[in-house]
Amino acid sequence: MTALLLGALGLTLSLVVPGILAGARWPDRAPAAAVALWQSITLTGVLCALGVVLAGPQELVSELGSDRPVGAVALIFALVIAAVIIVRLLVSLVRVSIRSRARRSRHRLLVDLLDTAERHGELPAEVPAGLRVLDGPLPFAYCLPGRSPRVVLSGGALRVLDAGQVAAVIAHEQTHLRHRHDVVMESFTAFYRAVPRPLRSRAPLDAVHLLLEMVADDAARRRCGAEPLRTALTLLSDAVSPDAPVELGSAAAERRRRLDRLNLSDPRQVSLGLTMVAATGAVGLLVLPTVILVLPWLDRALSAWPL
Amino acid sequence: MALGDLEREVMTQLWNAGEPLTVRQVHERLSRDRELAYTTVMTVLDRLAKKGVVTQQRADRAYRYAPAQSREEMTAALMLDALSAAPDGVRDAALAHFVGRIDPSALTAAIEAARKDPGVKP
Repeated sequence: MTALLLGALGLTLSLVVPGILAGARWPDRAPAAAVALWQSITLTGVLCALGVVLAGPQELVSELGSDRPVGAVALIFALVIAAVIIVRLLVSLVRVSIRSRARRSRHRLLVDLLDTAERHGELPAEVPAGLRVLDGPLPFAYCLPGRSPRVVLSGGALRVLDAGQVAAVIAHEQTHLRHRHDVVMESFTAFYRAVPRPLRSRAPLDAVHLLLEMVADDAARRRCGAEPLRTALTLLSDAVSPDAPVELGSAAAERRRRLDRLNLSDPRQVSLGLTMVAATGAVGLLVLPTVILVLPWLDRALSAWPL
Repeated sequence: MALGDLEREVMTQLWNAGEPLTVRQVHERLSRDRELAYTTVMTVLDRLAKKGVVTQQRADRAYRYAPAQSREEMTAALMLDALSAAPDGVRDAALAHFVGRIDPSALTAAIEAARKDPGVKP
C-alpha cells in the first residue's frame, strides 16, 4: 500500500504538477516562494521514487508469501536501483558544476583581460568591484557567478542606457550573484540531465529560470525604481533580438511577462498571501513522503495501543 | 597593483605593439610610468602563456610573446561564448543574462557588422 501511494504521488509530481505549475500565472506574484515550490516538487519526486524502490519489493514479497531467498533477492534488487538513482543524480550534479566552473573561470580570465571599464566615464559614481565593460556595439549585460563574481556590460549597453538604467541593470545582476541563483539553476540543470531522455521535461528548468529573473527584477525595482528597469529591459531586448526567430519566441513571451509585472501601478506586486501559501505548500510536500511511510506504522501502533 | 590589472596591462601592450615582444620590451613599456620588477613581468607573461592567451616564440636566444588572438577576435569569441546557448539548447547555469540569448547567426552577423564599421568603436 505504501509503495502504491508513494508511486502515485511521485508520478503526479513528475508528470502532472509541472505542467500545471508552468502554465500558472500566480507564481509571477510570488516568484521566490514559487522557486521553493519547484524545488520541493522536484525533491519530493525523487524521494517518492526512492520510497517506491525500497518499499515495493518487500511489500510484494510479503503479499505473495514467498520464502526468504526471494525476499532477499528482491531487497538487493531494490537497493541497487535506489543506489543507481542516487548515483545518477550526484554524478550529474558534479558534471554540471565542473563544466560551468571551467567555463566561468575561462570566461572570467578573458573578461578581465578585455575590460575597458576605466575608459568609460558614463558609469555610475559607485562602480561595484566586479564590474567589467566589453568593447562592442551590441548592447547586452550578464553576470558571471562564482566565488569571484563579475557583472559584464557591453560598450553598446552603456551607450543605449542612461545612468539610472545602468544602475538598475547592475542591481538586477547583483541580486543573481548575491542570492546565488546559479546554484539553484545548476541543481535543476543537473536533475534535468540525470532523468532518462524520454522522461525529461524542460518545464521546471524554464519556469525556474524566469522566476529567478523576476526575483532579481523585484530587488532591482526596490533599489532603483520600476521605470529605469522597465526601460532597460525594453531597450536591451529590442537591440538584442529585433526580429526574434522562432526559437526565441519563448524569450519574447518571457520578456512580456517581466514587463507586465513592472507595469502594474500597485507598488506591492509581490503578494504576501501567495508567498505564504506557496512556501507552506513547499514544506508540506517535502514532508508528505515521510508521512506516507510512517502512516502504516502509526496505524499499527494505534490499533495495538491499549495493549 | 592587483595581478589581474597587471595581466590586463601586459595584454594591452602586446596588442598595441603589433609584433611579438620580449620580456625586456614589455618591461620597458610598462615601467615608463611606474616601478615594476622585471621578474614580475616575466612571471605574468609566463602565466598568460600557460593560460593560452599569449603565444611564446623563441628567437635569438630570447622568448618573444604575442597575443594568441587580436583584441577584436578575442572580444568576438567571448561574446559568442557569453550569448550562445549550450549545444543541446538547455540553459547553461554558467552565466546569467539580463535578457534572453541571441540567435547565434544574428550574433555573428552583428559582430561582423561591428568589425566592418570601425566608427562605432570607442
